[in-house]
Amino acid sequence: MRADFLDRYARGNTVFHRLNPRTKLLLVLLIVIGVLLTPVGAWPVFGCLACGVYAALVIAEIPTKYILQRIGLLLPPVLGLALSAPISRGFQGGWELAATITCRSLLTFSAGLWLVNTTPFETLLGAMARLGLPNRFVELLAFMYRYTFVVFDELARMRTGQRSRTFSKPGLFALWISNASLLGMLLIRSLNRAERIHGAMCSRGWTGRMPEQS
Amino acid sequence: MTSPAATASAQPTHSRATILKVDRLSYRYSSGQWALADVSFEIGLREVVGLVGPNGAGKTTLLMHLNGLLFGVQRPMAQSAVTGVPPVAPAAIAAGSQGKTGGAVEVLGLAVSPATAPEVRRIVGLMFQDPDDQLFCPTVGDDVAFGPKNLGFPKDEIKRRVAEALAGVGLTGFEERSPLQLSFGERKRVCLAGVLACEPDLLALDEPSSNLDPRSRRGLIEILRSCRAAQLIATHDLEMILDLCTRVLVLDGGRIQADGRAFEILSDEHLMRTHGLEVPLSIQLGGRKSTLPGK
Repeated sequence: MRADFLDRYARGNTVFHRLNPRTKLLLVLLIVIGVLLTPVGAWPVFGCLACGVYAALVIAEIPTKYILQRIGLLLPPVLGLALSAPISRGFQGGWELAATITCRSLLTFSAGLWLVNTTPFETLLGAMARLGLPNRFVELLAFMYRYTFVVFDELARMRTGQRSRTFSKPGLFALWISNASLLGMLLIRSLNRAERIHGAMCSRGWTGRMPEQS
Repeated sequence: MTSPAATASAQPTHSRATILKVDRLSYRYSSGQWALADVSFEIGLREVVGLVGPNGAGKTTLLMHLNGLLFGVQRPMAQSAVTGVPPVAPAAIAAGSQGKTGGAVEVLGLAVSPATAPEVRRIVGLMFQDPDDQLFCPTVGDDVAFGPKNLGFPKDEIKRRVAEALAGVGLTGFEERSPLQLSFGERKRVCLAGVLACEPDLLALDEPSSNLDPRSRRGLIEILRSCRAAQLIATHDLEMILDLCTRVLVLDGGRIQADGRAFEILSDEHLMRTHGLEVPLSIQLGGRKSTLPGK
């Protein structure tokens, strides 16, 4: 997994990159709340918000192709969720609600995308801490960010190892079985790694409380 | 089974002032298998000692005892080891599992126990084999500062230590970089900087040169050579041992099999082969005549 998978454009130099990270965080929070409070079917409001968020993404020099790719990753689960509204009504309505759910998800996601691509993640963590978010929460996010890549790389290596010994196209059932054992193994490896990380932290004097982030 | 030649040659290399004393240390995994059995040795102030042995010999387990990540038991003096399982009293095992040890490992005279572990960790710096296990902070600067911050130093002192440690490993200016952006060799050096920033008196290094390219490896050897702390280096890189260490311990099957001058131990073909090792090429080819570091 590429190290910049989450925040590829975070180290740019546009007006938004230079903006105070706390301001950006609060702004995004405001947009998210605004989007969630916008009533179902208020299309002009959604339209205005979408234009604003898209303009912010363009000014931050985040390529449209990258935005669409990321949205593409989000779309399947969102559409699945949105379609549950018309399905629950036997396709006799609920379409407006489905469209609103999709709009809300895409808008909040895009605002988040703008935030992480205009602010390096470590700066964002510092801003969260200064805004008074609980330290444990910030630490959890820091660990998640640091080790997501390590775990994904481990998974990629295991998959490569598995594929290099797969000599014919496996059936669906066999594929499920082998992927399940892969995930199980990944979980065990991650637990072992967590133990080693804890040991390494203790050996540098950790006593259960993280020193302040600089 | 200690090699007689090795034991005889071990005496002159011991320093009078010891920083680390391991006395009849035994440790058993929760599975019941003995990882360390009756391990005893001392390390003098500023002494640089190599720890060699085959895979699964117990090297990492031993290092983890040195700064209180594991707590073994001390085998009663009267009982003698015959083979395999060392005769440790069940009470002693229970005490060990609860961490009440009777000085199986002593660092500067301080018995390593859960109560003394924080103090011991100020003295012993442990570097892990996989840099991803050690580097967990978002930036290099934060990570190197992690130890000094935990030690409670004021901001200026932390800054000085971070700058000095990073300069020491040749990574000045890397403070704001993310560990994710670094090469494996650079990550390894940041790990070392993180340990050096705590200014330990004893460095315990687990495979410091593994997976490094020749240039990074040479750089690491030079960094370790310039380091003033005593060192215990667990490694399969026997040439590095010859470059850095005056003394070497051979660990196999959880026991110290030999302890003596690095050159004499590593050139003992029978001993090396018995314990899954081999005489380093530089000795085989006759190019290396002594193990004095720097020669």
